[in-house]
Amino acid sequence: MRNLKAPLAAAAVAALVLAGCGTTNDRTSDKPQAGASKQCKGADGKYVIGMSQANVAEPYRQRMDDDIKAAAKDVPQFDVKFADAAQDNAKQVADVENYLTQQIDLLIISPNEAKPLTAVVKKAYDKGIPVLVLDRKVEGDAYTGFIGGDNVEIGTEAGKYVAEKLLPQGGNVVELKGLAGATPQAERHQGFVDAIKANPKIKIVADASGDWLREKGQAQMDALLKANPKIDLVYAHNDPMAEGAYLAAKAVHREKEMKFIGIDALPIPSGGIKAVEEGRLSATFTYPTNGKEAIAAAKKILVDCGSIEKTQTLKTRLIDKDNAASIYAEENPTG
Amino acid sequence: MTNPQDAPTPSSAQRPADQLASADAAGRTVADVPAAQTGAEQPEDAVASAGAAPQYPVVEAASAEAAAEQPDGRSADGPSATAPSLSPTSASTRAASSSTAVGVGTAPTAVAEKSGGVVATLFRFQSVFGLLAVFVAAIIFSPRRDGEILFVSADNLANVVRAVSEIGIIAVGMTFVILLGGIDLSVGAVLGLAAVGSAVLMVESGWGFLPSVVVVLAIGLVFGALQGMATAMIGIQSFIVTLAGLQIARGLARIWSDGQGVAIAYGNGPHEAPDSFAILGERTFGGLVPIPVLIFAVVAIAAVVFLRVSAFSRHLYAVGGNEKAARLSGVPVIRVKIAVFAICGLLASLAGIVHAVQLNQGSPNDGIGYELDAIAAVVIGGTSLAGGRGSVAGTVAGALLLGVLNNILALNNIDSNIQLLIKGLVIVAAAALQRLRPAS
Repeated sequence: MRNLKAPLAAAAVAALVLAGCGTTNDRTSDKPQAGASKQCKGADGKYVIGMSQANVAEPYRQRMDDDIKAAAKDVPQFDVKFADAAQDNAKQVADVENYLTQQIDLLIISPNEAKPLTAVVKKAYDKGIPVLVLDRKVEGDAYTGFIGGDNVEIGTEAGKYVAEKLLPQGGNVVELKGLAGATPQAERHQGFVDAIKANPKIKIVADASGDWLREKGQAQMDALLKANPKIDLVYAHNDPMAEGAYLAAKAVHREKEMKFIGIDALPIPSGGIKAVEEGRLSATFTYPTNGKEAIAAAKKILVDCGSIEKTQTLKTRLIDKDNAASIYAEENPTG
Repeated sequence: MTNPQDAPTPSSAQRPADQLASADAAGRTVADVPAAQTGAEQPEDAVASAGAAPQYPVVEAASAEAAAEQPDGRSADGPSATAPSLSPTSASTRAASSSTAVGVGTAPTAVAEKSGGVVATLFRFQSVFGLLAVFVAAIIFSPRRDGEILFVSADNLANVVRAVSEIGIIAVGMTFVILLGGIDLSVGAVLGLAAVGSAVLMVESGWGFLPSVVVVLAIGLVFGALQGMATAMIGIQSFIVTLAGLQIARGLARIWSDGQGVAIAYGNGPHEAPDSFAILGERTFGGLVPIPVLIFAVVAIAAVVFLRVSAFSRHLYAVGGNEKAARLSGVPVIRVKIAVFAICGLLASLAGIVHAVQLNQGSPNDGIGYELDAIAAVVIGGTSLAGGRGSVAGTVAGALLLGVLNNILALNNIDSNIQLLIKGLVIVAAAALQRLRPAS
């Protein structure tokens, strides 16, 4: 008899769950669609915004959340909630579903990957909830607006800067790439390679994947230094890998022989702008977090009852020794 | 507790625990009572499986030995009635002697006895009660909108079980491995490999639904079986084997997909997956029940039934309880191990198929860290990492508990960093409850 208890208990739980489903189903299905009816209530309205972040373990994405938080402080009508998918597409789908359950007024999402998030973003959009997509796109056009940087342009700017300013006489370049398969990795590579063609004396002598990580960049650079006696410049797809490469070169006292450039230029103490200011990196290129712009767009939609551009591309900015300190201060007005 | 027809007989088929439990019903002497308690405290699956097929007396040695590891009382007549039927191994002898000694030495009062039984029952279903407690707490703490409790809305409950389904399927396989006293760290990577496999075969190679699914499941099965062989035949610890398996499966997934997520579009054209595959990700019963949930339910029920009726399950619990004793008693330990890891691999690849169809993509990065969620579900479900004790039903409750917890924390917009703390504390609490369990 006791053998039957577990399945009975499980059945009871299942029955409970199903009963819950049955009773509430009638109520929800009769309801009018929430998002459409209460989109823009003007300045007198109160709005709950759900921000679904792909992975706050990446400093860039933490900064994006922080920028959104800071910008939302100036809009008293906004109450922004944050969820973190920890780099898991399935978790991010669940996060958005949970926001829909909460009947948020606007969704901001920085998708972990395009394809897996497309369906759930469309579900939100079809419910009449305005959706702002940041940094990485989703497929199709079932969203209100996309705000992001242009990684090809960033790669191009970096390549131009190397060809014209850092290595006008040519030289050997080592490329530390981001995670294989990631779109920004491919685009930052392509833009750079195309731009340095302007200076045929520049050669990419080696490349390696540092998976966006400082420690991985350092380890890969250890090996590249052994294999390549002459390196003039390290082009890393982000600042942490550039810093890792710098540490590897410093360990074998070769950091003065070569220059280091990165991408992202996060205005945080451990970010690329400080690294340029302190002389470890020669330059870095901003990859905008879009946080401020997202709140501005949300305000336009919800408070001003206006419309926004479907695609808003933010320009990159060169950070070098000359402007690093001032831009850091500009990005961190309170401290 | 037990029916009179379970009354002890000297039959070789009778297992000690059953006899002892029935002694309670028969109103035996005080000296027999602790033994009855022993029977009650045993994990129900272990007892059930041991008694399910009386035609295999060999396994009883291992069961008795496994039980003897618990410092509990046992009446003198239980083991002695069984002993003659056992092969004269050291295992059975030890089981008989140690339990006899303890049985004589302890004789608690009938009152303490009775409450002990209730407590034991409570502990046995701790994960189910835990689930109910979290469920009730979720209702209480749920945000409300226009008087509606959002947590129990149909949509939300469907979301909860849908979000749990993949981890749940994996956790069922993980329960088998952990019952064996092993661990499988490769399941998340095998999920990724299977997700990539489904996408590549259907989208890039243009295979049909059935051949793709069969091949992907076979890959998981073979991968698991190979890991089982490495641990059973070479004797490498399963932690090491599956740690290596994790790397290998991840590497294979990256190679197979060229390092890129493979998007799945549906239709009849080239580079499109058949519509029949898309159905796996849809919802049924009036758009209420996601198919992945049905798949999880079928897997869970099949596993529970399998563990109750098959001879294999007694072997599984025997090996997990005491591998040496099981081997000495004639349990085909190597075959059992290979089969268990194969089942775990199979279920991980099934979860990978479910993952791919839900996200319309197979990516080599899919399922990173899922092994830890699955282990957490198993542990919360009351299965001992030492092996030999636990149940699939507990694991299902554990997985649902984690799902409800995730959901209610999200609905209340608890900071994601705080969520990690809370989930960690819940796992510790579940493990601590197991330590308090009277039988262990």
